[in-house]
Order: sequence, then C-alpha cells, then structure tokens
Amino acid sequence: MFEHLLSVLDRRDHVSDAERSLIEQLPRRMRSFTNGEELVAEGSRPTESCLVTTGFTARAQFLPDGKRQLTALHVPGDFVDLHAFLLKLMDHSVVSIGRCQAAFIPHASILALVDTVPHIGRLFWLSTVIDAAVQRTWITSLGRRSPSRHIAYLLCELYMRLEVLGLVRDGSFEFPATQTDIADMVGLSLVHVNRTIQELRASGFVVWRNSLITIHDIDRLRDYAEFDPTYLNLIKEPR
Amino acid sequence: MARYFFDTSDGNKLMRDEVGIELDDLERVRAEAIDALPDIARDKLPDGNDRVFSVQARDREGRVVFTATLAFKGEWGVPPP
Repeated sequence: MFEHLLSVLDRRDHVSDAERSLIEQLPRRMRSFTNGEELVAEGSRPTESCLVTTGFTARAQFLPDGKRQLTALHVPGDFVDLHAFLLKLMDHSVVSIGRCQAAFIPHASILALVDTVPHIGRLFWLSTVIDAAVQRTWITSLGRRSPSRHIAYLLCELYMRLEVLGLVRDGSFEFPATQTDIADMVGLSLVHVNRTIQELRASGFVVWRNSLITIHDIDRLRDYAEFDPTYLNLIKEPR
Repeated sequence: MARYFFDTSDGNKLMRDEVGIELDDLERVRAEAIDALPDIARDKLPDGNDRVFSVQARDREGRVVFTATLAFKGEWGVPPP
C-alpha cells in the first residue's frame, strides 16, 4: 500500500527497517475517486493526511468566474495535503486527475509517529519542501518559459517522477489528464495547448494517444525543454 | 454541447485542428478563440516585424463560426542594427 511512498523516501535518504515498518503500520482509510472528484476541499480543516496510492491528483484554485489553475500535480507516493497538518486550513482543493486511490491517515497517527521518530518527521518535512521547490519551477515556467518548452518541461518532470516509481515502461506511461487539465496546469488557453501538443507530436518529441504518453528519446526532450532536474532533489543524503 | 474545431495561424504556419473541443455555446466558442491569441503571439514573438495571428472556429459542418485576429507591427525609428 505504501510502497511508492517508501521508495520515494528511500530515494532521498536511508530509511531503516524499523522506520519502514512504522510507516507501513500507519492506520489508514482507503478511498477511490473518479475523474474530477474532490479529495480535499478548499476551506476545509482536514483531520487526516491524504496520500495518493494509485493515479494522479492535482491542487486546484478557482477564480470567482470559474477559471481554474492547477498549482501542483501528485503522483503515487505523494502526500497531497501534508502541509495542512501544520496549516490547519486548506487554501486550495485537491482533485482527482483520472481515477485514483488514496489513503487517509489520521493526523494523530502522523503526530505520534513524528514525535517518536524525528527522522521520519524530517522526511515528511522534506516532502513539503520539495513540493515548494516544484512550485518554484512551475512559477518560472508560468512566467518565463515559452508554451512549447513549458509543456515539454512538465512532461520531463512527470517522466522523471514516474520513472523513480518504476511506472515508466519502454518510455511510456499512463497519464489521464485531459487537455483542459494540461491547460489549467500551464495557464494557457485550451486552443493553444492543443496546438502546442500537436507541434510537439509533429516534431517527434512525444506520442500522446488517449492516456498513454510515449517519449522515445527523453534526452532530446530534456535538451529541448532545457530541463534541469535539480529541483526534484533526487539525491540520497542524510536529512 | 457541440464540437468545434479551432484552426490557428501564427502568421507563418496554419495548423488545422483535427480533434476539436466540446463547447456549451457560441459565446464559449468566441471566448476560446480570443483566449488563444495572446498565447500564440507570446509564443512566436519577437519573430519578425509584421505578423498576423488568427484563430478560426469551425463547426462540425465546416462552417466558420468565429474568426479572431491579432495584428502585430513593429517599426524602427532609427536605422536597424
């Protein structure tokens, strides 16, 4: 159930068998969600921390006129609202991109665990801090990258995050986001996103058929996007 | 709800939309067409000094429902470098 969380923690620091066991024993309530369904509501005060176990979710904020911006993407093993453990109040909602499954872990159990094992507390802290690093990169993309490079950058990021989890096979991965979802992630019009993806396809950077994305030459896409993976912090060091 | 196709031109290349977008009504068609213009312009500028960006929305029958155009013109006031 928590194998993706554990593999991502282990990618960034040594996780002892005892720590692994404590994490695996965290009580949880499993729930499944359909496309677009809300996992956590804006304005709510969660009493549980939500962890994606399969599929994808996104953080969403809405304007009064209905426009939506997705401010982050979660893959399996990601906590979607660990920051709410400290913030107490949600300033955004979390929605399912395609179908997903998530584990809801009581805050009390998280508190007990981090009070008992400070190292795990630091690893959970690390995950929120990496969320922030990703956010910084998204801001740079939103502000300064050309639409084409922005989408290419997003694809490179997704590829890398899924590769770490063993979810990329022969350069292919499942990603059920609609073009509207992509438009809301990159802050561009739907028409231009359609056009840009068409151009990326025509240039041979990506094959995108329904929910299956294939990147035959990831290095070429990384070059084009000018992708720098530093922000994903895939280094293994004592934290 | 009906499907509309948005063909776009960046002044250089015309791209035909083979997939289309499902939209509620004509107001939305107009909104989507116009929304795309600044994005296309931002993507292609500062290439050239005289460009017209356009988006043409067609319905299923191929009728042009709405056309949105944005013109860019740049002019030097001194001899160009």
